[in-house]
Amino acid sequence: MRSSHRLAFLFLLPSLIFVGLFAFYPIFESFRLSFYRSILTLPWLGQKMVGWENYTDLWTDPVAAQSLRTTLFFVVTTIPLELGIGLGMALVMNEVFRGRGLLRAVVLIPWAIPTVVSSQMWRFIFNDRYGLFNFVLFGGDASRYLAPLADPILAPMTIIVAEVWKTAPFVALIVLAGLQTIPDELYEAASIDGATAWQQFRHVTLPLLRPALLLALLFRTIDALRVFDLVFVMTQGGPADATNVLSFYGYKKIFAEGMVGYGSAIAVGVFLVSLILSLVYLQILKSSRLEGTAR
Amino acid sequence: MFRAKNLCRIAALLFLCSLGNSFAAESPLRFVTWKSETAQMWDQPIADFEKQNPGVKVIREIGPQSSTQLHDLITQKLKNRDTEMDVFVMDVIWPAEFASAGWALPLDRFFALAEQKQFLDAPIRANRYRDQIFGVPLFVDAGLLYYRKDLLEKYRIPPPRTWPELVQGAKTILAKEKDPQLVGFSGQFKQYEGLICNMMEYIVSNRGNLWDDQKLVSTLNQPPALAAVRFVRDHIIGEIAHRGVLAYEEPESLVLFTEGKAIFHRNWPYAWSVANDSQSSKIAGKVGMMPLPYFPGGKGAAALGGWQLAISRFSKKSELAWRFVSFMTSHAMQKRITLGTGRAPARAALYTDREVLDQLPQLGSLLETFKQAVPRPITPVYVPLSNIMQRYFSSVLALPDTNIDKRAAFAARDMDRVLDLVREAPAP
Repeated sequence: MRSSHRLAFLFLLPSLIFVGLFAFYPIFESFRLSFYRSILTLPWLGQKMVGWENYTDLWTDPVAAQSLRTTLFFVVTTIPLELGIGLGMALVMNEVFRGRGLLRAVVLIPWAIPTVVSSQMWRFIFNDRYGLFNFVLFGGDASRYLAPLADPILAPMTIIVAEVWKTAPFVALIVLAGLQTIPDELYEAASIDGATAWQQFRHVTLPLLRPALLLALLFRTIDALRVFDLVFVMTQGGPADATNVLSFYGYKKIFAEGMVGYGSAIAVGVFLVSLILSLVYLQILKSSRLEGTAR
Repeated sequence: MFRAKNLCRIAALLFLCSLGNSFAAESPLRFVTWKSETAQMWDQPIADFEKQNPGVKVIREIGPQSSTQLHDLITQKLKNRDTEMDVFVMDVIWPAEFASAGWALPLDRFFALAEQKQFLDAPIRANRYRDQIFGVPLFVDAGLLYYRKDLLEKYRIPPPRTWPELVQGAKTILAKEKDPQLVGFSGQFKQYEGLICNMMEYIVSNRGNLWDDQKLVSTLNQPPALAAVRFVRDHIIGEIAHRGVLAYEEPESLVLFTEGKAIFHRNWPYAWSVANDSQSSKIAGKVGMMPLPYFPGGKGAAALGGWQLAISRFSKKSELAWRFVSFMTSHAMQKRITLGTGRAPARAALYTDREVLDQLPQLGSLLETFKQAVPRPITPVYVPLSNIMQRYFSSVLALPDTNIDKRAAFAARDMDRVLDLVREAPAP
């Protein structure tokens, strides 16, 4: 018994080392740095332990507060859209019809394109002079053209549109997998009982999809909280800080300004927010599983 | 036992081989820079250098075109003490930061004072930090005003000397041309480094400044700076320039001008050859160029830009690196690069060179502008200060209802906090 335990441990060791090196060490290091004042461009100041100072600064930093609001707004607008559209796409892809294989492949293209490339594409689409967006809305009438990337209200919308376009297929993929685990007998039974299509969807499909939907929700929330590449390519945080999401703000602090301590505090903040949300989701996921088995 | 011995031998042999290798062919010199549209900028000079130095290979690593993004890439390498980067290009605002952080090699032992005197003074000063020099200027940039000569002549409007004259002239032409596609002005007002250059030109030409370099306090909330910012918000953005400029960097704003859709345009010297190239420009031959306007009572101010070559402190080949840097910045090479690319050289003598003036007659008249160009204040905390100012400028320009005085006071307070960090800098 004991020797088999030891063997199991040996087998696990490589992955443990891997996770420790690439997951726990960086997280631990960020935590540690966030308690220091460390400014790369001013080496004579040294690395000074400042306790909670970076965190108290962060708490009172109006830019960080606005950044948090921008990020949360991004999360709560993109996720319902992604889930709604993704669910719709999955339901279509789950039907049997000609060309289904092709459709399934095509739908995944936005997810497969590297974000840097697709954000460049959206930047062109939203260009105020030559962009497709203005052309579709106003045709050749240049006097009415909007400049979405230059407007503090429209600029976050452009990022949201690009994000939903990119990640709805991902949600669709997870939901499709969920749909395929639902046995056909349930639908047969429901239709024998005289349930309409809507009733079948409402009382058979949705409840059984709940774990898949929650999983998609979990992935998407964590990902949306860390949104970075779209902002980096499309707006660089502007105009008027309207798209300055937390990850981008932290990136600027560490990589452009060299403020390693403060930037790490921002990173830890993002980490904690996503950790709390993940724990809440996991709790819900667990209880929904238990419900499933209880029935 | 036998096998172990053999293994040892093989290992020793391999080790010796690798040593021999590193002696035989010198490892290449690595040069990090941005991409150029023409081979005359980097490829040909590098090929010449390799020809002159047999056995030396220069590997050019291409970084992003945007100065901000290139800064992040190069500082990332320097932070990691990357020995794989020997020479890099340096924007005019970086030397103080790179010197303070101990990333750029001081070049005083290579770059004699007499040699420094051969260059324009403004870029040399920008490369100095605490009595040491950290880069060799390659070429200089300064903000200039471009205008549509044909349109101004058509309506008998003289080239504007002051900003209010420019606004008035643009409005007159716009009213008479009645072209919905035409705008009065295009410049760079996106939230990025270029915004600082543009706004500094308005502020300094109104006798203000970004901050006081001696007292280390922000001057953004002083009346001249406030008035200049208010002028841009109330009379330029959304008035003679469409609001789209709030997302424009140099390329987008230049395209608007070369497509014939803008009357006035603020850009760097390179825009002259682009705007006059009939292949890419619809207004070739119809372009005028002049120093930037000023506010009544002020003096025209062009932001100093430009690129330098610097050597990494972590390079293991500083001697060879210097040979490359001095080759690229030599009189002969600067002349070739100038003739090939139309960029403004950093060596003063080239502004009186017959051959250069024959091909680029505008350079002669630009010398004065370059000599008087205003550098952005020199400090190792430039980037955090720039980010605070970008935030302030972008907010007041993009949100017309914001209270400029209040925003400026906040920005100034944030800047003062950053400047306090360098107040007690130790002597070198």
